[in-house]
Amino acid sequence: MSCHLAPEELLLDFATGALPQAPALAVALHVALDPQARRAIDGLNAVGGAMIEGEAAASQDDAALERVMARLAQVAVEPRATPATRRLGFEWVPPPLAPYLRPGMRWRRILGKFDEIRLDVPGDAYRVSLLRLEPGRGLPEHKHPGYEYTVCLQGGYTDATGSYGVGDFAVGPGDQSHEPVADPGEPCIALIVVEKPIVLTGPWGRWLNPLVSRRLI
Amino acid sequence: MLSADEAADLIEAIASRQEREAFAKLFRHFAPRVKALIMKGGTDVEAAQEVAQEVLIMVWRKAASFDRSRASAATWIYTIARNKRIDLLRRGARPIDTEDWLVVYAPEGEDANKSILAGQTYTRVKKLLGGLSKDQLVVIQKAFFEDKTHTVIAEELKLPLGTVKSRIRLALRSLREALEKDEQ
Repeated sequence: MSCHLAPEELLLDFATGALPQAPALAVALHVALDPQARRAIDGLNAVGGAMIEGEAAASQDDAALERVMARLAQVAVEPRATPATRRLGFEWVPPPLAPYLRPGMRWRRILGKFDEIRLDVPGDAYRVSLLRLEPGRGLPEHKHPGYEYTVCLQGGYTDATGSYGVGDFAVGPGDQSHEPVADPGEPCIALIVVEKPIVLTGPWGRWLNPLVSRRLI
Repeated sequence: MLSADEAADLIEAIASRQEREAFAKLFRHFAPRVKALIMKGGTDVEAAQEVAQEVLIMVWRKAASFDRSRASAATWIYTIARNKRIDLLRRGARPIDTEDWLVVYAPEGEDANKSILAGQTYTRVKKLLGGLSKDQLVVIQKAFFEDKTHTVIAEELKLPLGTVKSRIRLALRSLREALEKDEQ
């Protein structure tokens, strides 16, 4: 299915817990939907396990053990968590996304071209959105001064760098303009995490950029 | 010392019989190690001790969700410790839901065959880490011990970002290739 894996350094930052929350959400969705990414994270977690095991034990007093043992009486061993079964498509919200969706969120039509739901993720450095594109429709040509991370959640899209399906991860092309177009079939839905405001480069860019920078669109 | 199999047996003893002695053994082995790892990230002794205790209590609570075919005890405990540390750092902001991270995604049909043989993976990873170049190992250790992004690591080592990225990519690819070879 997927051949667009997140870059290793991003998977590493995710596995160590160092990645800020917004890009971590993008990687978490990628990992939830792409078996290859999940195996990569399993491997990295095993590296973390090896690091813990190789750790020289810091001193730990027996009083701590006694205190914790005393607390156990109040802590139940919980029944096994039911594994989430994976179903592709957006009628099923991947678990990492669920905490960010609130009742009453609606798609907003932007520039008459695509729909957006802006997500509230702590941290000022990123803008996080769900975008929905009808088949054959494209995003306005744009470029990114900072990083842009995209995870496809439903359908697929194609740009100059290739075709992306459910679970695929893309890192924005930096100073190169790109113009993704949704593939035929069901509407394409993707999570987009943008580091800094997008700069529109098409004929309308001059007029629209001030609106982008004021977060109006 | 505690072998991977012994540690897995202890977690399963908690899951099936709420065995307190099994917990005490796990605690003696893992709590000091978790504490040491947390302290390397710059957390003070008191807070690290606190996190280590919370991690081990989570091991008790979630013992039934541990799956030895998917992860070794040390790996599973590492993921719990990492999430606790994230919670600690994001105090004030919305904490991440630790439960989310413990969700086991059901592998799909053929994917199940490919899933990593966890116990072996862990032992192999330990060996493979020893096989990395010194340059690669420094970056990987910094990432895991000090909880820093690759961008911060590049700044600290005064290396170009591209150099750090390629070291990470080479290191992780050699780990992955070696693991995949094992699975065949």
